[in-house]
Amino acid sequence: MTDQTLSSASPAIVKPKLSRDDYVMRAFVLVIGLWLVVTLLMPLYAMLSKSVQDKDGLYIGLTNYIEYFSTPALFYSINNSFFIAFLTTAITISLASVFAFILSRSTIPGKGIFKSIALLPLLAPSLLPGISFVYLFGRQGVLKDLMGDYSIYGPIGIVMGEVFYTFPHALMILVAAFSIADARLYEAAEVLRSSRIRTFFTVTLPGIKYGLISAIFVVFTLVITDFGIPKVIGGQYNVLATDIYKQVIGQQNFQMGAVVSVVLLFPAILAFAVDRFVQRKQVAMLTARAVPYEPKPHTLLNRMFFLYCCIIAVMIVGTIGMAGYASFVTFWPYNLELSLNNYDFDVMDGGGWGSFYNSLELAAYTAVIGTSVIFTGAYMVEKAKGFGLIRGIIQFFCMIPMAVPGMVLGLAYIFFFNHPDNPLGFIYGTMPILVIVTITHFYTVSHLTSMTALKQMDPEFETVSASLKVPFFKTFLKVTVPVCLPAILDISIYLFVNAMTTVSAVIFLYSSDTALASIAALNMDDAGDVAPAAAMCMVIVATSATVRVFHALLSRGIAAKTQKWRKR
Amino acid sequence: MSGGLHFNRGRPCRISVSYSMKNNTDNEQDETYLQVRNVTKMFGTFAALKDISLDVNEGEFVCFLGPSGCGKTTLLRAIAGLDIQTHGKVFQGGREISDLPASERDFGIVFQSYALFPNLSVNDNVGYGLVNVGTSKADTHARVVELLSLVGLEDQGDKYPAQLSGGQQQRVALARALAMSPGLLLLDEPLSALDAKVRVHLRHEMKELQQRLGVTTVMVTHDQEEALTMADRIVVMNDGNIEQVGTPEEIYGSPASPFVAEFVGTMNFLKATKGENSQIMLGTHTLTLNDAEKAKLNGSSVLACVRPEDILVRGVDDSTANSFDTKVKNLEFLGSFCRATLVYGKDDTELQADFSINLVRDKGVEEGGNVRIALPANSIHIFSAG
Repeated sequence: MTDQTLSSASPAIVKPKLSRDDYVMRAFVLVIGLWLVVTLLMPLYAMLSKSVQDKDGLYIGLTNYIEYFSTPALFYSINNSFFIAFLTTAITISLASVFAFILSRSTIPGKGIFKSIALLPLLAPSLLPGISFVYLFGRQGVLKDLMGDYSIYGPIGIVMGEVFYTFPHALMILVAAFSIADARLYEAAEVLRSSRIRTFFTVTLPGIKYGLISAIFVVFTLVITDFGIPKVIGGQYNVLATDIYKQVIGQQNFQMGAVVSVVLLFPAILAFAVDRFVQRKQVAMLTARAVPYEPKPHTLLNRMFFLYCCIIAVMIVGTIGMAGYASFVTFWPYNLELSLNNYDFDVMDGGGWGSFYNSLELAAYTAVIGTSVIFTGAYMVEKAKGFGLIRGIIQFFCMIPMAVPGMVLGLAYIFFFNHPDNPLGFIYGTMPILVIVTITHFYTVSHLTSMTALKQMDPEFETVSASLKVPFFKTFLKVTVPVCLPAILDISIYLFVNAMTTVSAVIFLYSSDTALASIAALNMDDAGDVAPAAAMCMVIVATSATVRVFHALLSRGIAAKTQKWRKR
Repeated sequence: MSGGLHFNRGRPCRISVSYSMKNNTDNEQDETYLQVRNVTKMFGTFAALKDISLDVNEGEFVCFLGPSGCGKTTLLRAIAGLDIQTHGKVFQGGREISDLPASERDFGIVFQSYALFPNLSVNDNVGYGLVNVGTSKADTHARVVELLSLVGLEDQGDKYPAQLSGGQQQRVALARALAMSPGLLLLDEPLSALDAKVRVHLRHEMKELQQRLGVTTVMVTHDQEEALTMADRIVVMNDGNIEQVGTPEEIYGSPASPFVAEFVGTMNFLKATKGENSQIMLGTHTLTLNDAEKAKLNGSSVLACVRPEDILVRGVDDSTANSFDTKVKNLEFLGSFCRATLVYGKDDTELQADFSINLVRDKGVEEGGNVRIALPANSIHIFSAG
C-alpha cells in the first residue's frame, strides 16, 4: 500500500467538514470582529485622516503637524505632560510599593481595612482629588499655609491629584506581584544565611520585577491621558489632554484636536507596547509546587509599617472626606453651616439630578451589554476552531483600547459618527453612543479578565460536549457562564464603576439630553460652582461604593452557594 | 448486564482477537471496526504522523503506547475528529468519517483531566448528553443510575466532581463517555493523573468493564505496564511511525525493533560479532541462537538483546550452552528481587540481570564476587547494529 502512495503525487489533503457549532462560532467571531472595526478602528482611522486635513476636509499632508510643532504654546504641553507623568509615576510607585509590601509581607493588624481604604479612589471620578485639594490647599483652603508661596493650581496640584488617582491602580498590580512569593526561596535564603537585605535584593526584588514594570507603565499611561485633574486644578499649566479639550471645545479647531490626539497616542501606545512585552516575558513565576509565603511577625518593623499605612490611609480618607465635608458646607468659607443646598443640582447648570440618572442608566447599560458582548466575544475568539488569522487579529484589536486615551477615542467618535455620510450617524448625541464608547474605552481589561477566566476552564469541555452531541452554546450557558460567574461579575462591576466615573471619552459625545454626573461635576466646577461639583462627585462615590458593596455581597452569596463544587 | 444498556448491539461480548490486519489493508470493506488508512498529520512542516495505517477489530481493546511526542495522542485526536489528519482516511463501522467533525462521529471520550463539568452534579454530568437527545426525565435518571452502578458509584450521584476522589472522578468520566452507547470508546491517558495504587486497581476494573460491554476501545498511554495489562493489542509508536503492532506477549517477547525492545521492559543491548555457523561472538564467548534469530544475522556486527530476567544462574555450569563467567560489579536491592550489574570480557562490558532474593542467598551472590551466567538461545533477540 505504501508503494502506491509513494509513487503517486502527494495525496489529497483532507478538508475537514465544519459542524454547525463551527459555523455558529465563526459567525460570532466575525460579528465581534465587525463590532470592533466599527466601534474602534474606523473612528481611529477617521481621526488620523482628520489630522492631515484642512478645515474643508482637503488633504494637506503634515501641515497641521508643522503648525503644531511651530506653536510653542502647544508643543510645550508635551514637556508638561511628560514631566507630570514621570514625577507622578516615581511618587506613586514608591508609595504603593511600600504599601503593597506591607499588605502582603507583614503581619500588621487591619490589613483588610487598609487595602479597602487604598482602593477607595477607584470609586471617584478623577476630578474629585482636584476639587478636594482646592478646598485643602487653595486660596481659601484649610491648609493653605502649608503651601507657602507655592500655588496648588498647577503642577503641584496635578501631581498630588494624579498620585491619589493612580495609587490604587499601582497597588493592585504590586500586591499581586508581592503575593506570588514562593516560601521555599525564602527558606533557602535563610538556610544559606543570607542577610535580610541581601534576600530582599536577590529574592524579593526579582520576584516582583515584572509587576513593578507593569505598574510603572500603567501609572504613566493613566497620568499622561488623564483629563479631569489637570482640568480642575491645572490652572494655566497645559497638558496634552487639556489641549485636546481646549482645541475642540474652546476653539472648535477639530483638526488641531486630532493632531494633539495623535501626539498623545504615541506615548500611550509606547507604554502599552512595553507593558505587553514585559508581561509576555513573565512566565509562571509561581509553579504548582510553590509554597505560599507566610510572613513572620517583626515588632519594630510592624510598628513602622502600621504608622506608614495609617498616614497613607489618613491622606486618602482626608482627601475624599474634605470633598465630602465641603459639599455639605453652605457657603465656603464664610458660612460653614452644614446644609444640603449644594445637592440641589436642579437649580444649577450642568444637567441637574437628571445627569445623575443618565449616569446610572449609562452604567447599567454598559455593565449589562458590555459584559455580554465582551465575555461572549472572548469565548468565541478563544474557543472557535480554525480561523486562526482572524482570531489573532481580533485578539490584537481587543488590546488597542488600552492604548487609546479616552479623550482621543471620544474625539475619534465625533469624526466618525458625526460624519454626514455615516449611516450610523443617527446614534450621535444619544445614549447608545455613550454606551458604545464606554464599552470600547474599557474593553481591554474586561477582555483580559474574560480570557484569564476562560483559560482556567478545561479546554476539553467543548470536545466532551461534541462527543455527547450537545451543541456548544448549551455548554456555554450551562457550564462556562456559571463557572466563570465571579469573573463575569468582576467585569460588570468594573464597567459599571468606570461608566459612573469616566469623563474623558464621553465629554465630546454627550448632548443636553444625555448629560452625565461626572461631566456635570466638571462643568459646575468650570462655572465656579465648586461645592456643587464636590457634591456631585460625592454622589458618584456613594453610588459606586453602594454598587461595590452590593457586588461583594452577591459574590459572597455565590461563593457560598457554589462552594460545594469549588472546594472539597 | 441489564438489557437497558444497549452496548451489545450485535457485538461479541468476548473479545475476538484477530491478527489478520496486516495483509488486507487494501481492502477497505473488511470486517474490522475502525480502519486508519495512510494517515499523515502535518503541523506546519513537522509531520506528527507519517503515513499511519491501522485496523482495530470490533470489541477490541487497543493501546497506543509510546514516549511523549511520538504521535499517539495526535492519532487519537484524528480518530476523534478533534484534529483532523492532513492526508489519509479513517473508517468507522464501514462508514468513512475522514472529514467529519467530532460532533458527527460516534465515540465517547475520557481525558486525562476527565473534563468533568465542575458545577454539575455527578448525575447531571453522566446524563449531560442524554438530556439533549430528548430522553425523558425518568428514562435519563434510570440510565444514569444504571451507568453509575456499572462503575460502582451508585450512591454518589448527588455529589459534585470536586467532592470525589480522583479515581471516582475518573469513573464518572467513564460513565459519561459510555452514556450514549458509543461505538468507540477513546481514552486519552485516563489513569495518568491518579496515584499508583488507585491506578493499578482501576486498570483492572476498566479492563473488566470493557470486556463486559464489548465496546471497541482505543487508549493512549505512555505507561508500558498499563498497556501490557489492559490491551488486547498494543500499537507501539515512535516519531510519528508505528514501530510494532501485536499482543502484549508479542510486544514484550519478540520486539520488532530496538526501540520497542528498549521502550517496553528493560533490555540489555550487547555488541556482538557474527561468528561461524550462525553463531555470534560476545567478546570471546560464543553464543548460539534459535533459528528465527539466525535468519536476522546480516552484517558482521549485531546487537544481541537479552532481558535481565531471562539471564540464568541456577543450574549453570561450565558445560551449559551460552554460559560464561561474570563479575558482580553492583547489586541493587529492589524489594522482591535484586538487579545486578555484571561485567564480563576484557573491557568490563556491563550487563544487567535480575536475581531473585532466593537465588542471591542460595548462590551467595555478592558485590565483587563472580557468578557464571547463561543466556538461553530462546531469550536472545538479534538486531543489526547499524
